[in-house]
Parts: sequence; C-alpha cells; structure tokens
Amino acid sequence: MTVAAIELDHLHKRQGDFVLGPLTLEVPRGLVSALIGPNGAGKTTTLDLLMGMGQADGGQIRILGRDLAEHEVEIKRRTAYVGPEVSYQAWGTVGRAIDFVSGFFPDWDAARCERLVQEFGLKRGEKVSALSFGAKIKLALVMALAREAELMLLDEPTTGLDVGSRRELFAELLAFMKREDRTILISSHQLTDLERFADHYIIIDKGRLIAQGPMDALVDRYQRLDARLRREPPRLEGLRLLERQGDRARFLLDREVAGGLDLAAAGIEVIGEVPLTLEELYLALVQK
Amino acid sequence: MAETAPKLLLGLISPAAPGPLYQQIIEAVKREVASGRLAAGRPLPSFRSLAEELQVSLITVKRAYDELEREGIIYCRQGLGTFIAENGGATARRAQRELARDALRHAIALGREAGLGKKELVQLLRQELEFD
Repeated sequence: MTVAAIELDHLHKRQGDFVLGPLTLEVPRGLVSALIGPNGAGKTTTLDLLMGMGQADGGQIRILGRDLAEHEVEIKRRTAYVGPEVSYQAWGTVGRAIDFVSGFFPDWDAARCERLVQEFGLKRGEKVSALSFGAKIKLALVMALAREAELMLLDEPTTGLDVGSRRELFAELLAFMKREDRTILISSHQLTDLERFADHYIIIDKGRLIAQGPMDALVDRYQRLDARLRREPPRLEGLRLLERQGDRARFLLDREVAGGLDLAAAGIEVIGEVPLTLEELYLALVQK
Repeated sequence: MAETAPKLLLGLISPAAPGPLYQQIIEAVKREVASGRLAAGRPLPSFRSLAEELQVSLITVKRAYDELEREGIIYCRQGLGTFIAENGGATARRAQRELARDALRHAIALGREAGLGKKELVQLLRQELEFD
C-alpha cells in the first residue's frame, strides 16, 4: 500500500499577476520526488504553502495523511525544510545558530549534526553573515538532516552549490532515504541536477501541472513526431506543434490523450517517430 | 536484515558506462551470481542501501531487483530482505550463455561481412581461445 506523503487537491493561490493552480497531485511516500519547472513556474509558492507560509485561496493540502490547516504543528514537527527563506543570521555564528535550533527538536541528533558540519566544511565559529550562498544552504541542510524528520522539503538547494557539494548533498539525501517511511520533495529549475536521484517527477509551468510520474512512464507517454503537413493542421488535444518550416513540422504527442488520434485524417503525414529523453521532454513541455 | 548484508562489490556502475543504470546493476549482479561469488541464500543489501552505495535513485535499484526477481536470480521476502535464489547461479549462467551465444553470432556476422569463411572463423576463435 502506497500512501501519499503529500496530497494537493485543487490548491489555488493568486499572487498579483501570478496564479498557482488549481493544482491536484500526489507526492508518493518513500521516494524522492522532484518538483521541476522554469523560474517563475510556482515551485517556491507551492513549497511555501506546504510549509504553511502564506495562505491558499482555495483547495486542500494533506501532509503525512493529515490536513495541514488542522494539524500544522504536528506536521511541522515531522517535516524539515531547506530553502532561501531560512536565515540564521540573527544568531551570529554557525555554532550558536545550531545550538539555538537544536533546542526546538527533541529528536535532534547532535553527533550526526557535528559530522555534517565537518563534512560540509562549516566551522562553528564562523559568522553566518559571512557565509557564501552555498555555505548558507549547507547550514540549512545540516539543520534539516540532524533531525529525524519524515518529510524533507528542499527549495532549489542545488542553486549555488558546486559540483562536489552537490554530490555531498545527494549522498546525504540518499542516506536519509534508507528508512522507507521517509519522503523527499526537492525543487529545481534544472532537470539535469536531479535526474540521477529522483524517482518521481512533477513538472509545473506557469502555475500549472504539466506532467507527473516516474521517468519511464513520462518518457513512454510522450513522443516526438516529425511530419509532413498536407494542409493547415487543426488544433488537436494532446498534439503540440514544436517547430515548423513550410510543410515540415515537429510535434510533441501525448499518447495518453491523443494515442488513438487519426493523424492522417487531419492531414498530418508522420515521417518519423522519435523517443525523447527526459530532458528533451521537459524542454518540449515547458517550451514557450 | 539489510544492515547485516555484506557489501556488494559490483564494479563500476556509472552513467558514463553503456546501457541504462538499472541494466548495469542487473548485469553486475548476474556476473557475481554466475561466477559463484554470490552463493545461493546469501543476503543482498536492501534496495535503499544499494542506492546509497551506488549513488543512484531508489527506483533504479528497485527496477533492477524486480527484474532479477522476475528472472529467478534473487527473491525478496517481505520484512526479511533480498536473497540469492536457490537456482540463481544456474539461471544466471544460462543467461550469460545466451549473451555469449549472441555475441558469437554477431562476431560471425561481422566475419562474414569481412569475407571470412567457416574455416577462417573457426581458426580465429581457436586463436582467441588460446590467448585467453
């Protein structure tokens, strides 16, 4: 039985000109899910709503089987968050920030915390304000990983990390995932960052869900078609024009929606069917 | 349990190597089982531990384990772990044999394209066997 770690039901929020949702999706428990989308897609807004930062205009959020609005304190106790909103500057040094934050969590593992501080090359005496962007992310990661959280939300943690640090990050996240009741939701605007580590993909763009599923299912679902156009092609659900030169066109076919479509009858003569890599698919899906 | 399972030495599993990662894991396990280095009944690490060890996604290892189980090389017992199947060695050797036969067929086809006759092909094979 797979229980979803996060369930969004018609989640909706308006922020100036930007509208998020309505988003309906599930983040599977026990796996690493990647929330992917270009800048401005709504990733941070979604994660903020999951952490109870900001108020949704509609819809429901259930986390670890409980309604977020009703059980926010309990959910936050079981959830760790790493993101740009968190600043530990007020406590001065790395060590003081750690001592302060650790006091909030009875499940804090001091030994693991010290090991992580060392591994990430942080020093307790260092001033938080003097840390590089990458080092600040690492400090936030230490705070998240030192606890026995069940759910970890990470908002673009790879931004500002060099290749070596990114590796350390993923090594720690896979170690975290050794317990099967744990779940990670990690966002990035770059698919390649997460491709080797994520089990489940949620692709959003302009506040809307574009596609979700494991890599194989996504790659199987879509296909690139190279075609010759006999006449002006009609607008068809599940068929998206990617490129066109005269009577030659390249389409993205969503087989789930348009699998049984009679393309020849629509004047589209298929010349070639090309499978896509996940990255090509992503770029095609979020293409302007 | 998984924690007591000995470390697997699977050799290089890398996105730079040919074939998808899960396929590389399948082949590496089969190699170990076929050679007898992994004997029947021996526990394998949990798929979560192996994912951490190899630094690949959980689903990659899960898929490899599922496939190996389908082929009868390993078996999973809920709550106990994953083990090498009783006939795992024989099954893996049979699979390796198929691969070897396919490779030979391919070599023969290449040889024919190069204009080699049966006699020359046999000679070539003999030569290689002697070098081995």
